[in-house]
Amino acid sequence: MSWFHLINANIRKEVIELKRYLPNTIAMLVTFYCIFLGMFAGIQIIGDPTTQDVNTQFVIVNYVFWYLALIVVGDIGYQIASEATQGTLEQLNMSPLGQWKIMFSRLIASITAHLLIVIVLLFLAMATTGQWLHVDLITLIPVFLLTLVNMMGLGLIIAGMTLVLKQIGAFLQILQFILAGLVFVPLSVAPFLAFFPLVKGVDLVRATMIDGLSIMEFSSFDIFTLLFNAVFYFVIGIVFFLYCERVAMRKGLLAHY
Amino acid sequence: MKPIITVENLCKTYKKRKSSEVIHAVNDVSFAVHEGEILGLLGPNGAGKSTTIKMICGLIKPDSGAITINGIDNQEKRLKALTHISAVLEGNRNLYWRLTVRENLEYFAGNRGKSRKEVAPKIEDLLEKFSLKSKENELVNRLSRGMQQKLAIAVAMLADTEVILLDEPTLGIDVETGYEIRNLLKEIAAEYKRTIIISSHDMDVIQDICERTVIINNGTVITNDRVENLLRLFEVRAYTITLAKPLSDKQQIILQEKFAQLEYTTDTHQTKLEVNLTSSNEIYDLFEVLQHEKTPIETIDRKTINFEDVFLKIVKGEFQHELVSSY
Repeated sequence: MSWFHLINANIRKEVIELKRYLPNTIAMLVTFYCIFLGMFAGIQIIGDPTTQDVNTQFVIVNYVFWYLALIVVGDIGYQIASEATQGTLEQLNMSPLGQWKIMFSRLIASITAHLLIVIVLLFLAMATTGQWLHVDLITLIPVFLLTLVNMMGLGLIIAGMTLVLKQIGAFLQILQFILAGLVFVPLSVAPFLAFFPLVKGVDLVRATMIDGLSIMEFSSFDIFTLLFNAVFYFVIGIVFFLYCERVAMRKGLLAHY
Repeated sequence: MKPIITVENLCKTYKKRKSSEVIHAVNDVSFAVHEGEILGLLGPNGAGKSTTIKMICGLIKPDSGAITINGIDNQEKRLKALTHISAVLEGNRNLYWRLTVRENLEYFAGNRGKSRKEVAPKIEDLLEKFSLKSKENELVNRLSRGMQQKLAIAVAMLADTEVILLDEPTLGIDVETGYEIRNLLKEIAAEYKRTIIISSHDMDVIQDICERTVIINNGTVITNDRVENLLRLFEVRAYTITLAKPLSDKQQIILQEKFAQLEYTTDTHQTKLEVNLTSSNEIYDLFEVLQHEKTPIETIDRKTINFEDVFLKIVKGEFQHELVSSY
């Protein structure tokens, strides 16, 4: 039950802050929507008219996924750096549940709270472009959840790095572009990326939402890769985070900024 | 009383940045804290007390030595040990300023795996006890520093642990709130049966609420004794005696001969004698000299020593050998 209360407390905090600073939340949504409009306009103006519809659908899925990846993977780094400066990080480190569980709960809280924004962003994008994608929930939910587990593994790696290095603002800026690369590059162009984080998941989501494939039509290799990536990156994330926590404890960095 | 915290031969070194030089932040520190005790952990800046506190909290791993909290080794079973200890290490900075008073209490309880329903009665109790009830829905960034400090202590209390560590609990707050916090801490120790370790530079707070102090300097324990014992050890027999008329020449000569540490100032109406006696019997000799010429005494004041003086004397190395104890 302690897990449940921990996750509940973190979701509640995230929702309270999003609601309390509603203008900020709306501004964030509008900014991401405007960037999407810019991309859409680019496709309209300079894109190949024969593939315009597919390109637009491609951008919608990729962009929404990129937004989610930024929140899940990048935001945890900013949160830790900010909490170290504020002075609340050491309180989190003193929880008998363990810090990685708190960070994991934070990731779940971020996803839960931002899921609504992601759905709004997705429907806004579809309504703006007039490109309505296939929303096969039976296929999308498991693929989406496994890709999220994959993302959380990356989030824990970033959290661990921030714990030791603290000032990783510049890296987090670069990370945005790395994530964009992983999300936007189609697997057909670079098949070797299948075992890279996020890539397989986004590819299968695209196959579902754009090409209308169902889970039954996925190959066993697709499902294996998806599962493997989720477990592999999540385990790596936890192991790396625990290692960083030990380094931070040895060097006395858990609370210092 | 059984010890609830034992610190044995604790050592921690840091490497200086861009240098191979090693700093011994904590060097062979040992002490014990007993159940229900209020212990003051003191030392000048850079003495090693924050590192010691953070090692007790499990935030820093010692190079060597052992810490047990309620019999649990905090290195082998860190998370289990943390169920017995909570802390306020950065005062009001330990709070989420964009959440309200109640939301902070609920969030930190959740982070220890407790439900809102489970802690609701405790939160009500703490809000009343800490006079925060009227501010429960106020954002923390709108509270005074004293209120924030009280909330930080309430958060630590909500963890329901046997031991609470407080780093500078009265730093930067006004006199009135400082007194309020002192009284709260005394109540917490007595009413809730908590063991409290306080690190502070405010010696009035230490003298007022701590039963015992451990003083650390240059990474080592230099004193470990009860506050009253330390005050007694440094007690001085210094008196200021005001006389209603000037001293005669004969009296001046006798007093100078008998008392090595005597100073006096005389004007046309009175004389002020300042004398440091080496034994209590000397006071009778002094009175005899004054009585012989029937010199009227107006006032006798004994100079008192406070804990700040004691602390400074210890840190400067005076009486070091007499003071180190193994408690």
